[in-house]
Amino acid sequence: MINLLTSGSGFFLLLLFYTLGAIGSLIFKKKDEWANGWQSLFAIVGSLWGIFFSISAFMTGDLSFAAYSSVFPLLSFSFHIDQLSAFFIFVISLITLFCSLYGIGYIKHYYKKYSISALGFFYHLFIMDMLMVVTASNGLFFLIAWEIMSIASYFLVVYDHNDVNNTKAGFLYLVMTHVGTAFIILAFLLMYKFTNSFDFESIQAQSVAIPVFIKNSIFILALIGFGTKAGIIPFHIWLPAAHPAAPSHVSALMSGVMIKTGIYMMIRLFLDILQPIPLWWGITILIIGSLSALLGVLYALAEHDIKKLLAYHSIENIGIILLGFGSALVFISLGNTLLALFGLGAALFHTLNHATFKSLLFLSAGSVINQTHTRNMEEYGGLIKYMPQTAFFFLVGSMAISALPPFNGFFSEWLTFQTLLQGMTSVNILVKSTFVLATGALAITGGLALACFVKAFGATFLARPRSTEVAHAKESSLSQLIGMGALALCCLLFGIFSGYLGSLFKNIGTHLTVFRNISLPPILSSKINFIAPNNFGSVSALALIVFLILALFIVVLLVKFVINRNQKTKIGATWDCGTNLTQRMEITATGFARSIILIFAGILRPSIQNEIEYRDSKIRYFPKSRTVTLRTRDIYRLYFYLPLNKFITTLSVRAKAIQSGSINMYVFYILIAVAIALFLS
Amino acid sequence: MMIFIWILQLICVPALSPLCMGIIKKIKAKLQNRVGASIFQPYKDIWKLLHKDEVISTDASWVFRFAPFIIFATTIVIGASIPLFASFLKNTLTGDLLVVVYTLALGTFFLALAGMDTGSAFGGFGSSREMTISALAEGCLILALFTTALSIGTTNLFVISNAGMLLSTQFFLSTILAFIGFFIVLLAETGRFPFDNPATHLELTMIHEAMILEYSGKRLALMEWAVANKFFIFATLGANLFFPYGIAHSVDTHAIVIGIIVLLIKIFILCAIVGIIESTMAKFRFFRLPDLLITSLILSALAIGLIQMQIL
Amino acid sequence: MNIFFLQFLLGILFLSIFYLHLAKKNFGAVIAYSIQSLIITLILLTSFLETNSFFLLFVVLVTLVIKVILAPIFFLRLIQRHKLTFSVSTYLNLPLTLIVLAGFTAIAHSQKFLSLTNIIPVHHALLSLALSAFFVSLFLIINRKDALSQAIGILSLENSIVAFAIFAGLEQSPMLQFGIIFDIFIWLVIATVFISMIYRHFGSLDTSSMKHLKD
Repeated sequence: MINLLTSGSGFFLLLLFYTLGAIGSLIFKKKDEWANGWQSLFAIVGSLWGIFFSISAFMTGDLSFAAYSSVFPLLSFSFHIDQLSAFFIFVISLITLFCSLYGIGYIKHYYKKYSISALGFFYHLFIMDMLMVVTASNGLFFLIAWEIMSIASYFLVVYDHNDVNNTKAGFLYLVMTHVGTAFIILAFLLMYKFTNSFDFESIQAQSVAIPVFIKNSIFILALIGFGTKAGIIPFHIWLPAAHPAAPSHVSALMSGVMIKTGIYMMIRLFLDILQPIPLWWGITILIIGSLSALLGVLYALAEHDIKKLLAYHSIENIGIILLGFGSALVFISLGNTLLALFGLGAALFHTLNHATFKSLLFLSAGSVINQTHTRNMEEYGGLIKYMPQTAFFFLVGSMAISALPPFNGFFSEWLTFQTLLQGMTSVNILVKSTFVLATGALAITGGLALACFVKAFGATFLARPRSTEVAHAKESSLSQLIGMGALALCCLLFGIFSGYLGSLFKNIGTHLTVFRNISLPPILSSKINFIAPNNFGSVSALALIVFLILALFIVVLLVKFVINRNQKTKIGATWDCGTNLTQRMEITATGFARSIILIFAGILRPSIQNEIEYRDSKIRYFPKSRTVTLRTRDIYRLYFYLPLNKFITTLSVRAKAIQSGSINMYVFYILIAVAIALFLS
Repeated sequence: MMIFIWILQLICVPALSPLCMGIIKKIKAKLQNRVGASIFQPYKDIWKLLHKDEVISTDASWVFRFAPFIIFATTIVIGASIPLFASFLKNTLTGDLLVVVYTLALGTFFLALAGMDTGSAFGGFGSSREMTISALAEGCLILALFTTALSIGTTNLFVISNAGMLLSTQFFLSTILAFIGFFIVLLAETGRFPFDNPATHLELTMIHEAMILEYSGKRLALMEWAVANKFFIFATLGANLFFPYGIAHSVDTHAIVIGIIVLLIKIFILCAIVGIIESTMAKFRFFRLPDLLITSLILSALAIGLIQMQIL
Repeated sequence: MNIFFLQFLLGILFLSIFYLHLAKKNFGAVIAYSIQSLIITLILLTSFLETNSFFLLFVVLVTLVIKVILAPIFFLRLIQRHKLTFSVSTYLNLPLTLIVLAGFTAIAHSQKFLSLTNIIPVHHALLSLALSAFFVSLFLIINRKDALSQAIGILSLENSIVAFAIFAGLEQSPMLQFGIIFDIFIWLVIATVFISMIYRHFGSLDTSSMKHLKD
């Protein structure tokens, strides 16, 4: 059994589960319940196996194996599972487990409307390909898996195809992901040209043979390509469109895990394969990370579609992960491998944490959307009375993403801050200014994220209902509650046991080639505390939560039962200034964020449009209706993508002239082509 | 002996904070040529409120009911994690700079949610304004405190306050700039002038008062006490991180007594400054406040940039 | 004098120039300028205490009279006569101004200017700070729209150059100091006369409304 777990066959068994799940759900085309049961069962079993497999792979070490050698000379279906890949397999499997548990109850809402078997087929294909992406060891094989992953997720995004916005979103997603793939192909081709191989191991061995200019070009191409998948600004425009369109458990997977595959490949390329690297790579990634974090959270504040808000927060958190990763790259180029390990640990911890709490948030949002049939936050309100457990899980997710102790988000942001602090002590003024900029951006982002989630949770669950749909809302089904509850528990546990997890990340780091030859004093954790290098700071998660709960307990005890024993509590109405309380008296989500949008008006470019319809259009005294439209302009589309689009379209129209339709012209083209081929040979 | 010191550390913040509020009100009264209430009046107010019945809105959920307890508990936890009069206490568990900042943010989070929970118009926009100010102020606070951390080389608050006089070293300019930045954040987070008027109940001028408008009885007492605690915590951080003179460095009764007296004097000076500011200045228009916060942010960033790491 | 005292003085100089960017009332700007001049006087005094040359003492006294007392009085009388209480707005709004200032300070401390600020290695921090004060004053002149702030900006530019020169150990030649004082004196006279003339002709001191010189 142990042998099975720690060998290549274990991995193939994992892939087999998902293959069976995919094919099996195709069989149950007519029977919705059977399709649902089959796909959920295989997804749960597969992810459980995946968790066990990744833990054992983590402990044993490097695994390299091949499926079979193919007939094509450069393509080999070879896998390489080291600690980094095992970590990502763990993250994928963990989130899949809970999303599939949730899915059992969630998919019931799609019965009789869409094909459940198609959902199951693409779902399993998607997960299987994500697993292959993080373990592939050959460039061409990686690209095949990457492509299938993108196509499978496209079909999942357009699953709800009755809404035309979803199909548009799916198309945008398809175009953007293929643009990214094009850049990645270019990067791989450049690497092939100078190392004569697509296998990652041989590229790594010969990476010194690549000239500096080509290396820099590979960096830029790979950054754009993988950045498009990860969702860094300005290549992010597909994220807020595609993530809301997909079914909620798929959105959770896409947002929590799929965009991390871009990060995985960046770590693999920049830290592992292409060493040694110049300083400006790390600085660029730091600046991009700061921009993505700040702009992501600002755009999230302007949103009132709950899933779009969560999608923009994914962009923000990718920015935070890039901050940790960028500082690791900077430290490596400066020769300080200890701090680089620390930075990498921060980035990986935040990856895990973001996957957990973002999935939790998407799943709760999915429950709410199912019950109220709208994604617009302005029509929610008071849901805490109708869906108390879902509200509680959303609150846990909000606290985790705003980096509030004692949940896990706080500890990964603590690690990121400590890394940035170490960077600020450097003497080089360029490095120092970049780190000061990054710290300022991270600090402001934390505050703005807190504001955004007060708005999201408050507008959705608190106060009185703003529409009649809310009164019909019921609590989510048991499987959904189990899925969400388990994720909430993970958030808490990852927070409390962050000390233990710290040593795990050190373990991952030391197995990357660049860190292999350093001797490490015990850093990152001493099982109770997190300890920063050079004894810069320490925090103990367990002590914090124990202290908080103890203080809370004592305060409640003293006040409620000792001092205030004889007093009564009356229930009355909210103070209404003498009028009747209506739903229009509460603050709306748009109103909540309006102050911040006006403060950052230079970046967000808000606009107001007033339209009035009069009862008599000649004598304009009595208005019949007024419409106010508040909008923030999407400057990336307006100034970057639309002009590019227009240019390419104009070019294509001009190029159409080649197809004149007459056979004579075509034969003439053939003649010219033959002449040129003869001339060149 | 150590047990006694720890108990003192725990109860110091909640015990002394209403006194600060009383002193500020008395100074304002004197500057307005009134006699004013006694400086122990806030204690009597809290006692009175704790023994009253309360009314809770039908729209409120458990968030509204639990928020005062959670906020008060966080101020107690932070009060025990900051250097008050003794810098030799080895609190490596919770005495970290970022822990303090984010636990304060935890309190602000629940305060804002409680403001929105009752569905009243005042609470909603109070939460909106509070989160706007708090979002920017949190960033400025982190940068200002990081200046001291970078000068000394650690983020543990007790070690920073143990390090001694920052003003007489090469970090002089950075400390002054960071303190100005920190003082602006102190005014922002505790709801004093020019950010918020703690004595008004007009909808044009309320931020904090708007959020706690629906509270009554024991919950209101806890909220007011928590605000006083927060002010005391910020004043202590400003006094002991930037000017750590007189803090006790060793377990010596003599040194501890001096430490407590010096702390009280420093807090009194800060209360006097806040009282004078409140009597001589008007509250700013709301959209002028981000300018002030950006000034604080840039001052702290400049302070970090000016730290010359000559003695590494 | 020990270096910390000098750093203290230079810190106040830097803060006063910084405050000039934030000040909305001209009165505050003038007071900041007089504080600056006081600092320069004190720095010159410390240099006198080191070299004990009596001419330097004379220079200190003249600086004190002209820069600290006479110049602010001139400006205040100007403000009173034309009722220029509030300074006109700037080209960049406040957050952007502050970011640009932080950028200038960072640049002044960077490797590019190391050759300049390392003339006397012991005074490296002081020279970097004086250089950043120089850039900040220059930016004040660029950013502000009204002539009075630009005048104060030029004068504080002068102050920061003097500070830089003193810390860089330039020869405290009598002619240099005398030249500076004379230049300020003439400048003040011309400034008063011209500002009154400009105001009488254009009706305000806002330079953006002075674009059409031909009437």
